[in-house]
Amino acid sequence: MTKVRRWSGVAMLFAMAAAPLLIIPAEGQQLTDRAKQIGGKFMCMCGCSQVLTQCNHVGCTTSAGMLKELDQAVTRGDSETAVTQMFVQEFGTKVYAEPPKSGVSLIAWSLPSIYLALGTILVVFVISRWRKPPAARTAPTGNTPGVSAELLERARAQAARETED
Amino acid sequence: MDVFGSFALLLAFVCAVYAFAGGIAAILTRHPLLVKSTRQAGIATCCLVFLGTFSLEYLFFSDNFANAYVVSHSNRDLSTFYKIAALWSGQEGSLLFWSFILAIYVFSVLIAYRNKNGELMPYVGVVMAGVQIFFLTLNNFVVSPFKALAIPGANGTMQLVARGDGNGLTPLLQYPEMVIHPPNLYSGYTGFTIPFAFALGALLARYPGEKWIHLTRKWTMIAWTFQTMGILLGAHWAYAVLGWGGYWGWDPVENASLLPWLTGTAFLHSVMMQEKRGMMKVWNVWLVFCTFLLCILGTLLTRSGVVSSVHAFAQSSIGNWFVGFIVIILLVCFGAYVKNRDYLKSENQLDAIVSRESSFLFNNLVLLVACIAVLSGTLFPVFSEWFTGDRISVGAPFFNKVNIPLGLLLLFLTGVGPLLAWRKTSTESLKRNFGWPLAIGVLGGAITFALGFRQFYSLVCLILCVFVASTITMEFYRGAKVIRTRSGASLAASAIDLTMRNTRRYGGYIVHMGMVLIFIGLAGAAFNRDVQKEMQLGSTMQIGPYTLLLQSVDTRPEKNYTAERMIVEVMKNNKPMMMLYPEKRRFATTVENGTMVAIYSTLKEDLYVVYAGQSPDTQLPVIHAYLNPLVKWIWFGGVVVVFGTLVALLPNRRAVLVLSGAQQPVGQQLQHGLTPSPSVTMREGHD
Repeated sequence: MTKVRRWSGVAMLFAMAAAPLLIIPAEGQQLTDRAKQIGGKFMCMCGCSQVLTQCNHVGCTTSAGMLKELDQAVTRGDSETAVTQMFVQEFGTKVYAEPPKSGVSLIAWSLPSIYLALGTILVVFVISRWRKPPAARTAPTGNTPGVSAELLERARAQAARETED
Repeated sequence: MDVFGSFALLLAFVCAVYAFAGGIAAILTRHPLLVKSTRQAGIATCCLVFLGTFSLEYLFFSDNFANAYVVSHSNRDLSTFYKIAALWSGQEGSLLFWSFILAIYVFSVLIAYRNKNGELMPYVGVVMAGVQIFFLTLNNFVVSPFKALAIPGANGTMQLVARGDGNGLTPLLQYPEMVIHPPNLYSGYTGFTIPFAFALGALLARYPGEKWIHLTRKWTMIAWTFQTMGILLGAHWAYAVLGWGGYWGWDPVENASLLPWLTGTAFLHSVMMQEKRGMMKVWNVWLVFCTFLLCILGTLLTRSGVVSSVHAFAQSSIGNWFVGFIVIILLVCFGAYVKNRDYLKSENQLDAIVSRESSFLFNNLVLLVACIAVLSGTLFPVFSEWFTGDRISVGAPFFNKVNIPLGLLLLFLTGVGPLLAWRKTSTESLKRNFGWPLAIGVLGGAITFALGFRQFYSLVCLILCVFVASTITMEFYRGAKVIRTRSGASLAASAIDLTMRNTRRYGGYIVHMGMVLIFIGLAGAAFNRDVQKEMQLGSTMQIGPYTLLLQSVDTRPEKNYTAERMIVEVMKNNKPMMMLYPEKRRFATTVENGTMVAIYSTLKEDLYVVYAGQSPDTQLPVIHAYLNPLVKWIWFGGVVVVFGTLVALLPNRRAVLVLSGAQQPVGQQLQHGLTPSPSVTMREGHD
């Protein structure tokens, strides 16, 4: 019986490890062309608040026009920077789907990392401040003279609470 | 009914002012009658808000087109079901609905604690009344939903008129989920008022730290559950109605709902530090304050037009009121904190770095960083315009790049945190708890990598999902095994028993398992595919293993709209499988069209078919098909999260003493010369 349990345990572990197999799509990721990749960095300017390549309004003249311009630029062999400049000149900075990694927009990109770094420093600082000095860690035993029954009871209650789960 | 509703709201405002001012007087004088009367004024406020809301709903049901709000958001042919939803479809009604949900919460709190916590409740009552005054001010004097329809008469005076029919409800809102999504989300937003009221009340009253935390926890969990359901239902609505193939677009309004959810989640974790160790008191108080402030900020973003969003209400000057309210809340919170911060000192210290306490600190850090990152990204266009004159958009690509790593870090902590012990975790314990889950996670990752799974974030996400799922399963297995050894029950029964003995802990694990399922679903987004094609009758399009054949097109007149329906046969590997019916709905009362997406959903993938409209050039129907892997896992995960939260809200089943000796008659025991000293056995019961 123990062996059966052990093997069933092992089988369960393997089943869990193989779980991703069930959820892997049968085919790999479809390759996107360069235009689609660049187009993913701009918004459709029709007001739908969707990324240019995702605007699904049939008959949306704005996205159709923008995609046409994009296709032409990519066919010409324009660089991504040139395409970006073209759209920004035409529509302004509202056309960005993500802020450019330069100038003032760099703040938007760097802020999350700064938050994380500062937060980590803060947490480490808090942990180091909260840590008991070595002397304080050697707690006196329950029978130490001078510890009142009330204090002991409170400590017991606290211990019970803390070990509840 | 117009006048009745309006009068009810006005009276509610007066009662709320009395509850607020009288409550302050009651705190200062400690007069028991004053305390009682202000509590009753609070209850009366709620009842009057209920009356006001029901009277507006009555106007919808009775097709009263003399009311301007009813004219703007309803029409005669609108089904009863959607006439309920019409209440919150516009600015005025949605703010009344906000007051309504808030009144339900306030009413529940005032009734539930009417004879308890006498020291604390007057403070809580004052804070709740303060929040109610703000919203009732808006309902009465800024955006009243009870405005009668009037036109200028010949002599220049305004004359009351009634229209024959209304403008109808926005087509996007005529979908079943829009009847349940906003109430859930509003219940989340408004629900955070209660923890806020308890936190601020406790701080003002210098109430002992642990007590308000105990009182607040379940209210926070209720609000958090509604917020979670609201967010997920909103995502599902966006998926099924907007027809863009996605469920989350990082729209400012979506972000606004996520912000208090993130800080609320952080609070639900850090609150354990205060309960168990008496630590992080200042942090918890400020987390609750921030969560409430973010709820109000979210409302400001949705209603003021500060940021552009497809979900937002019409642009209005109402934002100024919310800014003012936020400033007042900040000042009050800060003042209360400065005055009484001495009461928030930590009782304990940290014993070791590798401990449950540290993991909670890092969990809070990641949640807070995610929150601030989303907030700053959402507001960046506004700030960039202020400082540079140019409005720089921040869209989904930015939020994905920033938040995916944070999400994965959080997922990792979800697996690690619960397995670390309070105070200190030994190396042995680390090996015992993490050895197998880590091995299973790595094995899962190796298998998927070997199979050509190369998308970095999705691969990492799946490895972490396997790891976290393993840690949770092992926790259940270990606990259930101990119970099975003692009771002889099956493993499943033992697992249920285990859960019921400590609902909070194991309910929490179920919530974590739900989050794992949601992350699995999110990982699938990296493999989305789509094809769009103009289709003639009888033509086909291919997406993945599916072939779509446009069989015919029909038009179906319904009561409130006409549906133009595509009849699409789906074949898989050239074998007929099923029919799908994507449609466009053209409403008589509005120029906007509604989209009904046809979805064939399996655990592996969703085949998502949209009738996108007619091509302006060829007049042929355009079909847009998407193949979205693993989306169903998200909705299923959401159900598991809600289930886990409900389990965590249940009281623990407690071991009680039962005298088994009582089964044997005492006289019989005495005959055998036995002293009646019954053996003690344990029986389970609810507390």
